[in-house]
Amino acid sequence: MIKIEEQKHILDILKKVMDALQKKDYIKIKNLSNQFVHHSSVHQDADVISIAVIIYSLSKMLEREDYKKEKDWKAFYSSYLTTIKRMIKALEKKDDKAFHLEIEANRRLLEKLSGSLKSNMKDVLNRAKINKASRIYEHGISMGKTAKILGITLWELAEYSGRTGVGNVNLGVTMELKDRIKLAEEIFK
Amino acid sequence: MKYLIFDAGPLINFSMNGLLDSLERLKENFKGEFLITKEVKEEIIDHPKTVKRFQLGAIRLEQLFNKGVFKLADLNTEEVDELKRLRDTYMQQANSMFKTKKKPVHLLDKGECAVLALSTIMKRKCKEDVPIVIDERTTRIIIENPQNLKKLMEKKLHAKINAKTETYDLFKGFKIIRSTELAYIIHKKDLFKIKHPKAFEAIVYGLKFKGTSISEKEVQALSKM
Repeated sequence: MIKIEEQKHILDILKKVMDALQKKDYIKIKNLSNQFVHHSSVHQDADVISIAVIIYSLSKMLEREDYKKEKDWKAFYSSYLTTIKRMIKALEKKDDKAFHLEIEANRRLLEKLSGSLKSNMKDVLNRAKINKASRIYEHGISMGKTAKILGITLWELAEYSGRTGVGNVNLGVTMELKDRIKLAEEIFK
Repeated sequence: MKYLIFDAGPLINFSMNGLLDSLERLKENFKGEFLITKEVKEEIIDHPKTVKRFQLGAIRLEQLFNKGVFKLADLNTEEVDELKRLRDTYMQQANSMFKTKKKPVHLLDKGECAVLALSTIMKRKCKEDVPIVIDERTTRIIIENPQNLKKLMEKKLHAKINAKTETYDLFKGFKIIRSTELAYIIHKKDLFKIKHPKAFEAIVYGLKFKGTSISEKEVQALSKM
């Protein structure tokens, strides 16, 4: 169950997402999804993490014009937005169960798709998961824990996080390189 | 007999970079065993074998496992039970080490904690430190400088973190190297097949880009060693 203060926070962000959608401010939508990362890192709540993924995916879907030419796109997009609007309503009524059911409904939208739109949307969602996972790892949660929270493999996370600046953070340097080399040399002498 | 324990990350990293043959040659040079836990085997072979994108990498690792290049530790029933108990203790302690105003932050998972537990048991059995190869940042910082992790989390979360500092000692003393230091040894022993003046630097970058937590400054320094 999501706590009241978190519900307020999620509601606030979802409303901002709908507002940004009307203004076609897709970058803002992406940034809004990042606001969930702090919460996700601490609470590791499946629903909160799902919302971060749903919003980030939305921003990625809207960036690409070619998806919009697919025949089922309009119906899919409309249903996607409907689930978000219903999440807002559920949160306004403080109806935790209805909120959770809408997250499930959003997840099931993929199952109704077929062909290239299905594989493209699946890809968008998976990339969104990896992106969020990488952010959570940056916040200090281990790779194994993060992969589990997001339901992705360590292979996917290692590949993605290696391209980010995680290794360059000064606080991550915990031993002089020469000392670690010395240790490695001792192991293999 | 000497032992070196591998977390999942370094083996995945060597596989993704096409460097497993060099690991095999390094094992031939090592007067001991490369060990993994059941949890690591699941993460590097059993599960990815069912994911098309990572199937090839997992099969390559399985071949090395079948050849005995790395193996599951030979533990009796009591030691297996002890490993599970220790794993759960490490997990419980790590996951209550830091608290925000609201709740404790769960930092480590079973896989990482099982590696620590195995190192503890093997150290007792062979009466010397049993080092671990680990690429991911969090476990390494908890072991070597947990205060840095606290600072990092406070910076990232924009929140005060309360640390249960008495748990720090539980994680002290593990010896950690990363894939990049392993690559350094392979390079110095001339066990990489690829011969090119820039090859070692390229390998270190390859490892960094597939998950080794190493800074740019360290990469530069290592490449010149």
